[in-house]
Amino acid sequence: MLPALRPPPSAASAVPYTYCSPPRAVPARPKYRAPLEADEPQKEPARWANLMYDRRVVRGNTYARQAVPTCIHHPNAFEIQRQREARRKALARKRAEEQIQLRTPEPVEGREHVHVQTELYLEEISDRIIEVDVECQTDAFLDRPPTPFFVPAKTGRDVATQIEEGELFDFDIEVKPILEVLVGKTIEQALLEVMEEEELAKLLAHQRAYAELRNAELAEVQRLEEQDRRYREEKERCKQQQMEMLQKEKETMEKIAAQAFAKRYLTDLIPSVFNNLHESGFFYDPIERDIETEFLPWLMTEVEETLEKKTLGRVMLDSLIRTVTEKRLDVFSQKPLPDQVEAPAEEHRPTDNAPQVAAETEAADQAVTADEETDQPAAEDQASHHITFQSEEANQEAMEDSETD
Amino acid sequence: MASTLISAKLPPDVDPTKAPIAFGRRALPKLSREIQSPELLTQQRALMALCDLVHDPENVYQAVQIGFLENLKTLLLHHDSTVRQKTTEILYIMAMHNVGRQGLIQNAVIPVLTELLDDPEDICRKNTHQVLDMMAKLPEGAVDILHAGLIPLLVVRLKTESDEIQELILGTLSNCLRMEASEALATDAITILKEKLTHPSATIRNKAAQVILEIGTHPEGKSTVCEEVIPLLVSLLEDTDPEVQASAAGALMFATIKPKVCCTGGEHFLYTSRHSDTWSYSESPVLPSTTSWKPFLWLEAVSHS
Repeated sequence: MLPALRPPPSAASAVPYTYCSPPRAVPARPKYRAPLEADEPQKEPARWANLMYDRRVVRGNTYARQAVPTCIHHPNAFEIQRQREARRKALARKRAEEQIQLRTPEPVEGREHVHVQTELYLEEISDRIIEVDVECQTDAFLDRPPTPFFVPAKTGRDVATQIEEGELFDFDIEVKPILEVLVGKTIEQALLEVMEEEELAKLLAHQRAYAELRNAELAEVQRLEEQDRRYREEKERCKQQQMEMLQKEKETMEKIAAQAFAKRYLTDLIPSVFNNLHESGFFYDPIERDIETEFLPWLMTEVEETLEKKTLGRVMLDSLIRTVTEKRLDVFSQKPLPDQVEAPAEEHRPTDNAPQVAAETEAADQAVTADEETDQPAAEDQASHHITFQSEEANQEAMEDSETD
Repeated sequence: MASTLISAKLPPDVDPTKAPIAFGRRALPKLSREIQSPELLTQQRALMALCDLVHDPENVYQAVQIGFLENLKTLLLHHDSTVRQKTTEILYIMAMHNVGRQGLIQNAVIPVLTELLDDPEDICRKNTHQVLDMMAKLPEGAVDILHAGLIPLLVVRLKTESDEIQELILGTLSNCLRMEASEALATDAITILKEKLTHPSATIRNKAAQVILEIGTHPEGKSTVCEEVIPLLVSLLEDTDPEVQASAAGALMFATIKPKVCCTGGEHFLYTSRHSDTWSYSESPVLPSTTSWKPFLWLEAVSHS
């Protein structure tokens, strides 16, 4: 079988052209033909490819010749049909001719008239070869007539074979893997998609469950936080209260302690206060006070006056004596009698010292003139001061005595 | 009968909208190159192929390793809407896996996503919000979103966007506000959330209640919630949907754990709780055990306040 690549010819005859006598180079020919006798019985094998001598080439007018000689080869249906048509036409023609022509006499008994065409194998033998000049002009509009259907000669043995059902393959078994693949792939794809959806749905459900749990827990956490906050505040408040209470207790205790201490401290207070007051003279006997404040100072002042008078007197006396003695001294200094003057001066002085006290006290009564003297008034003042101090001391002693009483 | 010859033709192209994927390890680098090509069709085809590949977590890991996210960041601001839509979808699928989320944080993708919040295409915005929602579930992601200043923008968009995007925004907000509520309070989120509490859709009511729950975990939020929202939450306790009831109970739970200030509505909802069927939360589909904690907990909290 030829490969299927060559496109089949569109003409009626499907057999491609093959050479029965492939073209050959002209062989060396003998100059003279071989004697004819030897040739007749045999047909030489075709050594030439000359058209003129080719049996198969139709000589004469090819246009009129329509009846293709019956081939010994297998014609195809088209050829058969054409042959049939040609036969029909020939018959028709013959009938027409017969009608015009004289008919041949009827066959004798036992014989039959048969139309025989003997032209097939007729060959005109002559030395002179009929040469006819034929011109040929290809007709532009005429299609190439279809090549004759050439079937190569049958060689070899005919062998026929027929494929029965079930011999080649079992469709059901063969189709199974293909079907499995097809259906399997489809179902696999479908399953994948469905599984994806399911997976998503499960994931969403899982997420929702998780979200719900989380929300619940979050709410719980917040509630616990609130609770915790409240407890803490409660605790703080309790603690505060407790602290305040403790504080107050402490204060109260301190107060009590302070009070007790104060009380104890102050129990002594009043007596001591009274004591102090008493001692500092707030509670006084009015008569005593009266005596002390009024009488005694008066007494003292009186005494003082008296003593001052006395002192003054003495001072006066002293001054008098002094002036006198000075005068006398002056007088006596004018006269040289120192012994008597000094002696009486010395005598006067010690004697002055003795009665000075009495004199001063007497002079104190007449205090005015003592100021003129420089020495003696100073001494007298000092003396008087001494005396007053002494007198005051005496007064104070007297007063204290009176107080302690 | 099948012949043993391997066909010289390429296998039939089943889907011409996707770029052909190279074998094994080379798939992602090749797509990375194609994404940077100047031709729009190549980029789109590469993005479609990448979108399929990224469902596998190993590919996500590889993509993050070879630095895909930089390219995707530049593509986020592309002029073509299909490119943007596919890029945001890819980022969403990557964000569904932890490796992808970590990659998104490290490559600072969230500030770029801020630009896309105003995208004219609905699907782009929806994908963007989905990405933000997934990122917010991670604590570092939530912090990232807070740092990018997205909270005021999201709160504003609550009023304007469609319902599904609102659900996503509310989810994002609830996860972010767990960290820090001051920004949201500054933009007066409570008023908007109060409207959402009366929305016809149960999911939106549920999520709005959850956002209020998260606001209530912070002390400054508690006072705001206490003043304004308690009556609404109490009315939600009698809602038909058990999840809404659970979320409302949770929000109340947090609102009542308050320092010093007693809620005046305390007695009010104690009464309503006795009347409403608070103890039947065991019907809640997700978690029968924990949703019933909430009423216990907030009753306990209320009794302390």
